[in-house]
Amino acid sequence: MDITQVIREFVVTEYLPDTPPDELEVDYDLFRNGVINSLDLLRLISWLKDHFGIPVDELDIVPENFRTVAAIRDFVDSALPAPAERTLK
Amino acid sequence: MYEWSEEHRELRAEFAHWYETLGEGHLEADRDSGLPPRAWERVRASGLLRLPFHAEWGGRGLDLLSTMYVLEGLGEGCRDGGLCFSICTQIVSAGIPLQRFGSAELKARHLPGICDGGTITAHAITDPNGGSDVLGMGMTAKPDGDDWILDGDKVFVTNGPVADLIVVYALTDASLGPFGLTAFLVERGTEGVLAGADVPKMGLRTSPLGELSLRGCRVPAANVLGRPGMGFAVLDHVMRWEILCSFIVQVGAMQHRLDRCVEHATRRRQFGRPIGSFQMIADQIVDMKIGVETSRRWLYDAAEGFVRGRDVTTDIAIAKVLASEANVKSALSAVQIFGGRGYLTETGLEKDLRDAVGGTIYSGTSEMQRIRIARMLGLKESQT
Ligand SMILES: Cc1cc2nc3c(=O)[nH]c(=O)nc-3n(C[C@H](O)[C@H](O)[C@H](O)COP(=O)(O)OP(=O)(O)OC[C@H]3O[C@@H](n4cnc5c(N)ncnc54)[C@H](O)[C@@H]3O)c2cc1C
Repeated sequence: MDITQVIREFVVTEYLPDTPPDELEVDYDLFRNGVINSLDLLRLISWLKDHFGIPVDELDIVPENFRTVAAIRDFVDSALPAPAERTLK
Repeated sequence: MYEWSEEHRELRAEFAHWYETLGEGHLEADRDSGLPPRAWERVRASGLLRLPFHAEWGGRGLDLLSTMYVLEGLGEGCRDGGLCFSICTQIVSAGIPLQRFGSAELKARHLPGICDGGTITAHAITDPNGGSDVLGMGMTAKPDGDDWILDGDKVFVTNGPVADLIVVYALTDASLGPFGLTAFLVERGTEGVLAGADVPKMGLRTSPLGELSLRGCRVPAANVLGRPGMGFAVLDHVMRWEILCSFIVQVGAMQHRLDRCVEHATRRRQFGRPIGSFQMIADQIVDMKIGVETSRRWLYDAAEGFVRGRDVTTDIAIAKVLASEANVKSALSAVQIFGGRGYLTETGLEKDLRDAVGGTIYSGTSEMQRIRIARMLGLKESQT
């Protein structure tokens, strides 16, 4: 499964249980629409660390990296090694 | 369990003679309330405030675990719990976020004074509307040219009545959820800043605590820690440090109390036997031992994970609940084990109990820590 889909499914399962994954637009604003509160953000960060094995530093916790599914994907992309070396859990 | 090196032990020993000095007159100081006169001068002279800061600004350059190890010694050796709490607040409230998130210019301006203790620091998170629900706070900050205008009230500001520099958390955009919070460095003399007097409280009486009001308070944009919207990340970082540092101090205090109870239970005789030979007394002491060992391990283990970049959100919450609750239980047991003497002010144990109760409230209540753990497990609540 591609990264966008993995992230989309996580967000939907965790925070929007009544939405079918494919209906969540990648540019849907998760903050302005009140989808992710502070505790959700902590869990999201923890999941990104665990699932993709990327070290999320406090300095990365800026709105640009988490505002939409697309933003999260770009953040993960930039933090991950080249595709060939990836080992997703 | 973390293995301490000879170097660590030497480091702790280097500060040992200060601990008792800092706690001198603690019973009178508790009765009088407020930061004891001369105490801060001694704190400054001890060099404890320098521990985790870079040498560049006058710090000792110690890592988190070494800092905690020295602070554990402080808790064991200094009987003034309020003063210890103010020391921790001084170290973590402004210096730690400044070192991590501040600009070069802000660091150069403020860190030397923070290391030296000439600048007393505080952080103002809680306000009359936002306590456990930090994002429900009423304090706002609005951009105005190159400045921000802060408006609102804060309560429960440890060191507030005497602070020169305060990190104030304010909402900069309520619609951004966790990214709507920003941390500002506010200097005491800034127009519109008014710090209230020391508010009387149950324990930790030598740690001044007060209200803070900000009215149309103009703060330069350069005083933002990190960036606008990063307040939540700053706060989370600071809370980790605060929990690790202030509760390792309490582990030291629990260790001291345990030793004292063992000694008392061995010496004090009733029915022709030492009271420690009664299983019910021994049981309480054993639980004190379990409490101190468990809390110590969890705190150092969480700290090690934090330093290594492991996700320690759950670990820190567990460590906080364990340590704060073990401390209350240990303090209550000590009063019981000392009997009538435990109830007297002169023994210092009733003060320990009053000091300990605060620990289940500040740095995130036990309830909020449990909610964090539940959420990290993927459990959801319907209303919150
Ligand atoms: C000694 C001391 C020092 C302090 N120092 C500082 C400081 O330096 N700076 C600062 O900003 N603040 C400080 N505080 C304030 C402290 O952080 C707050 O008191 C704490 O966060 C709780 O907020 P509150 O008092 O508004 O209680 P509330 O949030 O009103 O909570 C009241 C009760 O309801 C419970 N509760 C709230 N929400 C929930 C929920 N969703 N589910 C279940 N239970 C819930 C709480 O756990 C608590 O038991 C200090 C407090 C003390 C006691």
